[in-house]
Amino acid sequence: MPNDPAIGSRWSYTKRGYAVTQSIRQLRERSLATLMTLIVLGTTLALPAVFWFGSSSLSTLIKSSVGEESITVYLDMSIPDLQGAELAQQWETQSGVRATLYVSRREALALFQQQNDLDDAITALGGNPLPGAVVVFPAIDTANDPLSVELVEALANRFATMAEVERVQIDLEWVRKLQSALTLFRIVVSMLAVFLTLTGFLVIGNTVRLELLRRHREMQVSTLLGASRSFLNRPILYTGTLYGLLGGSIAAVIATITYSFIKTPADQLAAQYASTFRLALPSGGQFLTIIAVATALGLLGALMTVLKPQQANITNR
Amino acid sequence: MIGFNRVSLAYHSGQFALEDVTFTLKPGSFTFLTGHSGAGKSSLLRLIARLEKPSSGDIIVGDLRYSSLKARQEPKLRRQMGIVFQDNQLLYDRNVFDNVALPLIISGYRFKDVKTRAMAALERVGLGERYAENPIVLSGGEQQRVGIARAVVARPKLLLADEPTGNLDAGISEEIMKLLLQFNASGVSVLFATHDQDLLTNYRFPQLVLEGGRLASDPNASMANPARRATRGSANA
Ligand SMILES: Nc1ncnc2c1ncn2[C@@H]1O[C@H](COP(=O)(O)OP(=O)(O)OP(=O)(O)O)[C@@H](O)[C@H]1O
Ligand SMILES: [Mg+2]
Repeated sequence: MPNDPAIGSRWSYTKRGYAVTQSIRQLRERSLATLMTLIVLGTTLALPAVFWFGSSSLSTLIKSSVGEESITVYLDMSIPDLQGAELAQQWETQSGVRATLYVSRREALALFQQQNDLDDAITALGGNPLPGAVVVFPAIDTANDPLSVELVEALANRFATMAEVERVQIDLEWVRKLQSALTLFRIVVSMLAVFLTLTGFLVIGNTVRLELLRRHREMQVSTLLGASRSFLNRPILYTGTLYGLLGGSIAAVIATITYSFIKTPADQLAAQYASTFRLALPSGGQFLTIIAVATALGLLGALMTVLKPQQANITNR
Repeated sequence: MIGFNRVSLAYHSGQFALEDVTFTLKPGSFTFLTGHSGAGKSSLLRLIARLEKPSSGDIIVGDLRYSSLKARQEPKLRRQMGIVFQDNQLLYDRNVFDNVALPLIISGYRFKDVKTRAMAALERVGLGERYAENPIVLSGGEQQRVGIARAVVARPKLLLADEPTGNLDAGISEEIMKLLLQFNASGVSVLFATHDQDLLTNYRFPQLVLEGGRLASDPNASMANPARRATRGSANA
């Protein structure tokens, strides 16, 4: 009987192969219930996944927004243009500064006159009322710096305390608002994500518990035949892991689809603030990470169920 | 090879299933365990298989003293004995072959050995042709024989049989008895629980007789009761 259908594959008669075969068989025999559970699991884990995909894009949004802002440092009226230009050069070498630009008193006046129709008023003042200014472009490490707004403000404060400086002006208010809104959004969604992940964990734990009841007779007979605890637990652990793996795959697919729906409107919204920002599509690594985390969750859920003390002795009736 | 020293077993109800039982069975022996229903036969076998722990007293099997046995050694102990259960304990979610193969999988045999041993065990109980069937479609006697094949497939040194002929007709009991004798002839110690009077009178092996959980007669006492005298095997208290 080389290829006897009544006898399973060579592998299914090894300890591990037996465990895998048993757990797959249980999933297949109750395919409708399995499918329902997997869909519940997939949708439950999909939202945390979408959030995670988006959250890395959101931090780049804040950083790049801040990176496009500049600090205008108005110098004291007593500082002559030559000294102002020197200061600008000095500051360029300071940490946190990408570039500086000196705007002389005359240039400032020309700009002012261009933008405002106040020629007469200025002529009436008899002289140039505008100070020289240094425009400072902060160096923002968009890849690694999570607190860009705070850093830019610290830089601004440093200039503000200098003797030569009259006043510092930055327009980070909208970025700050955006950041607070995003922080709040993140906390709420993180909590939601934690709850949903916990729910996924419990769904797996509960499914595995049912599995344990269904397999009770087989486990009892195996115990009578001398099976060790690890032999008895292995199919259960594989079942949990399998649920995690399949549920995680469904979650990753749902999350990617959902995310691509969100992407277009989100990009349009973001474009109104920072022209360069786009939501990045999830990477293959992120996709696999979701599946890996869900799989680990499945294994943990099964372990938790299997290691419950009241489950310890099934030979005592 | 099996020694009971003043063993008692009380279930949670507090009632004693076995009380102060002492006996010794030698390796390679064939021994009947008999007594009325509820006398404690299954309980005694469960104690040997370490499926139950004595309330007092000690049990020795081979060179293992049960009182100093660790919980994680119990599965290995069970793998070294074959047990035929009163209610056969077959799994109806798989075919006959897979039922018989299960102890071999548990013991970690290679596939080649699993196949040859399981088939050989089924041949020996006369069910070589039925390996692909689900045990549910087999008759009671055939199911018991599958149970026997499963009990001996890993070639244990000790076979515990709990009323394998329980509710089978006389012809089939005889068949099963012959099977157990074959295994005994190949060196397996057999402890056979039964209250089948025909078997007990036809085959004159030493008897452990239980009455209400106490040993009413052990093989040594058989001198006082010639009808039950041992004709083969040996046992000492
Ligand atoms: N798990 C248990 N819990 C409580 N009492 C039990 C348990 N198993 C057996 N008993 C009791 O222990 C006594 C001995 O039972 P046991 O099953 O050993 O008898 P037996 O000789 O095998 O009977 P039978 O010939 O009917 O199989 C009985 O009074 C029974 O009610
Ligand atoms: Mg019984």
